Amino acid sequence: MSDAPGRNDSRAGLSRRQFLKGSGVTAATAALAGTAEAVVQAATADKTKEKTESMGPGPVALTLDVNGAKMETKVEPRVTLLDTLRNHLDVTGCKRVCDRGTCGACTVLLDGKPVYACTTLALEAQGKKVRTAESLVDGDKLDKVPAAFVKADAQQCGFCTPGFVVSMYAAFQANPSAGPGEIEDALSGNICRCGTYEQMRDAIAALCKVKRKEA
Amino acid sequence: MATKWPQKRRLIGTRVQRVDGSFKATGRARYSYDINRPGQLHAVMLRSPHAHAKIKSLDTSDAEKMPGFKAIHVVANAGKELFYAGDEVLAIACDTEEHAQDAVRAVKIEYEVLPHLVREEDALKKDLGTVPGGGQRKNVNVVSDDSSGKGAKGFDDADVVSEGEYGVAVIAHQCLEPHGLVAEWGEDDSLTVWASTQAVTGTAQQLAIMMRIPATKVKCITHYIGGGFGSKFGPDIQGRVAAELARKAKAPVKLMLDRASEITAGGNRPSIAGKVKIGAKKDGTIVAYEADVYSIPGHIGAATVKLPYVYTFPNTRVKQTAVRLNRGNQRAMRAPNHPQSCFMTDCALDDLAAKLGMDPMLVRLKNLPPNDQEKAQTNPIHIDAIRHTLYTRQIEIAAAKSDWKKKWHPPGAGTGVVKHGIGMALHTWGGQASGQVNECKVVISKDGSVLAESSTQDLGTAQRTVTAIVVAELLGLKPEDITLKIGESQYGRSTGSGGSTTCPSQAPATLQAVAAARDDLFEKIAKKLGSKKEDLSLENGKVVDKGRDKSWSWKEACARLGMDDARGTGTWTFAESEQPENRGISSSGVGGVQVAEVSVDTETGIVRCTRVVAVQDCGLIINKLGCESQVAGGVIMGVNYALFEENLFDATTGRQVNDDMEFYKLGGIKDMPDVVVHMMDMPERGVIGIGEPPTISTAAAIGNAVFNALGVRVPYTPFTPDHVLAALAKKGGKQS
Repeated sequence: MSDAPGRNDSRAGLSRRQFLKGSGVTAATAALAGTAEAVVQAATADKTKEKTESMGPGPVALTLDVNGAKMETKVEPRVTLLDTLRNHLDVTGCKRVCDRGTCGACTVLLDGKPVYACTTLALEAQGKKVRTAESLVDGDKLDKVPAAFVKADAQQCGFCTPGFVVSMYAAFQANPSAGPGEIEDALSGNICRCGTYEQMRDAIAALCKVKRKEA
Repeated sequence: MATKWPQKRRLIGTRVQRVDGSFKATGRARYSYDINRPGQLHAVMLRSPHAHAKIKSLDTSDAEKMPGFKAIHVVANAGKELFYAGDEVLAIACDTEEHAQDAVRAVKIEYEVLPHLVREEDALKKDLGTVPGGGQRKNVNVVSDDSSGKGAKGFDDADVVSEGEYGVAVIAHQCLEPHGLVAEWGEDDSLTVWASTQAVTGTAQQLAIMMRIPATKVKCITHYIGGGFGSKFGPDIQGRVAAELARKAKAPVKLMLDRASEITAGGNRPSIAGKVKIGAKKDGTIVAYEADVYSIPGHIGAATVKLPYVYTFPNTRVKQTAVRLNRGNQRAMRAPNHPQSCFMTDCALDDLAAKLGMDPMLVRLKNLPPNDQEKAQTNPIHIDAIRHTLYTRQIEIAAAKSDWKKKWHPPGAGTGVVKHGIGMALHTWGGQASGQVNECKVVISKDGSVLAESSTQDLGTAQRTVTAIVVAELLGLKPEDITLKIGESQYGRSTGSGGSTTCPSQAPATLQAVAAARDDLFEKIAKKLGSKKEDLSLENGKVVDKGRDKSWSWKEACARLGMDDARGTGTWTFAESEQPENRGISSSGVGGVQVAEVSVDTETGIVRCTRVVAVQDCGLIINKLGCESQVAGGVIMGVNYALFEENLFDATTGRQVNDDMEFYKLGGIKDMPDVVVHMMDMPERGVIGIGEPPTISTAAAIGNAVFNALGVRVPYTPFTPDHVLAALAKKGGKQS
């Protein structure tokens, strides 16, 4: 039940070095104390190398690129990408379940990499392309990953499904010739309660074009 | 006489993809949690941080001055006693969720902290009476002490007696969509809720009573629900609170439980633990069974099991004790009480088989419940009439599919550090139609479009697809041709999805509705087509006149409706299904056999379940794909139950220490076995529900597989390394 390698390691695309450099000692100290303000400063650090601008705690204007559309809203800096999408932008394909970076139901793509939107601040996502499961259908044309879930019936209540679909889509984007083992690794950060894993393996086998041995 | 299932079936029993699959897989399906109404407020609940306390004083004045504050509703005022950490105190609605969280933190409460008990072993050591009750408050309460036959004296007839301890932990439902709703009042004092519920009409009715408004003014909408598993049958406290807040604030209010509240207050499956004694003749015929068991129902009530389970032993004695603790209360969970009953019976049976030196499969075959000969005369498709035959066949299939004869070995017989084991267990369930009316309406429009409407809900069981299949089957159309409207209380009568009753209630109701709509169509168009209505039939998108060997396309024929439409309503109840002339439309009672294989590392104590074979019947299969999903899902839930899950409490603080998804363990895809599902199609029996039974016997089968691997019983779930290593140590160290 371990995280998939690389999950969330793209956090805002900031290395620790950039973070400390950009935000200054005060912000770094604040970050250790776990305040959102420090991350805000860090996220905006590149543009404000000269003087560290403070944001919040009140709402700040924000523009996000979600599924190819520019969306504007105002949220407090402490608000996560997940809550911003769901509560402020009405993009609800990413689900809030554990709200603690464990279950993967909130998985979205940030510049193509899968991240937990519940442990990513909205401000961190500025200037990046956010993609949710809703982007994997164009009119009636389903992407092959959600289509495989439908065909194998790899979903029941469906609340975890968009997260699984996004994680799997990202794994195939990273390696189009990935085998079933690699795809299962990439899904290790997602949890399903209805127990659709058996059908998910059918979906994976179909996408990897391998035959599942008659179990 | 009701319309029966067609003898020739084109769609029913085949693998049909769920009709809403693409909406779910791409996040476009809107769950209650996803509803965003104009001007919607967010509410957050304040809950007791103490396992047992009395509210001394409550000051909300600062909270009401917080930014974004809109309304407050107090559940527990000063003087109120709270019985678990998570008990509801009040809720506040604000413009944003963050503001609501801040406002709740600004509430000042003084508690008088009272003594608590949260662990069974502590309560059994010293009963402090920390739970509600009448005159005398007791944590430990004997619920029943029942005997059959000669009771415990039956052991006098036994050649071999086995005694052991067994138990399964309290687990949480962990619905991924938490309990909660959006509540909105209309100008006419009507209330609309988008609730995460498995009882759409029941939730609307209960809210009307709670809010003292006419039932006709409440509407409940649940188009999609993110899991219920038995825990979501009504509006709950949060339903009332959200409605009160919305009324006060004159704005829609969303109140969904956070994960910790979902786990601590959203219900749980009660535990069972205790001693079981079982005795048999040398040939394996079981003659006596005795159990002294304890369960944790939460802080009120009792959680009883049915012992012995599946098998009928001639002499039994079962004593049950409820240990009420300062914890959230149990709720129904997928086959309530059955997994516990199965574990306490089937695990003891394997230990007895080991003492007898017999293959436990043969002991099972020897002790299967008999076919009821009297029932066979009056109703030959009744489960009681076929029980012995059914289980015998299911065990044969399970043994063949699992290669039992080759893979089973005497317990602990393997060599090496990582040991292989195989185990079996049996289950049963009802799954009949609901006692209350379920209804469906089908409308055929003049343009050929078809609407099927029912207030029932789709829990993830693909109920929508079941409705589509039945309508399409009779009209000669495709499932995707049917427009489906379900999950709104104004669409007629339906009952909550519990007891696996939805499919056996709704599929027959839909059958009656579509048959009536078809007949209405023929009645209205026959003359215009120049046909006799009794000559008309529907085949592959065509209306066919057998008498004149003529046919029209579906659309062409429907156009003859002119300004009218054709419609039919169907109902179904358990009573209707019991009419002898309706036999074969729906019925009751299934069996199931599961075989699990495990590998156990005797150095680390890690158990992996590698393969599960599940043999299951459910009468007439409507959608084979959906059935297989339900069975595999039930098995996987059972694997979690056996290997990972447990609500853990800290004795000092009285709080649950794993009220999250990090330390409350649920397996991921890599933790799961291959699941082989074998569905037995028994169309002559009619529709029987399938949601619950397949999760029942998995934990017991895995428990027996671990025993088979190690030759030592790991008594309690979850079979985590600490439990496994402790059992091995008790036996005298690791096996070589």
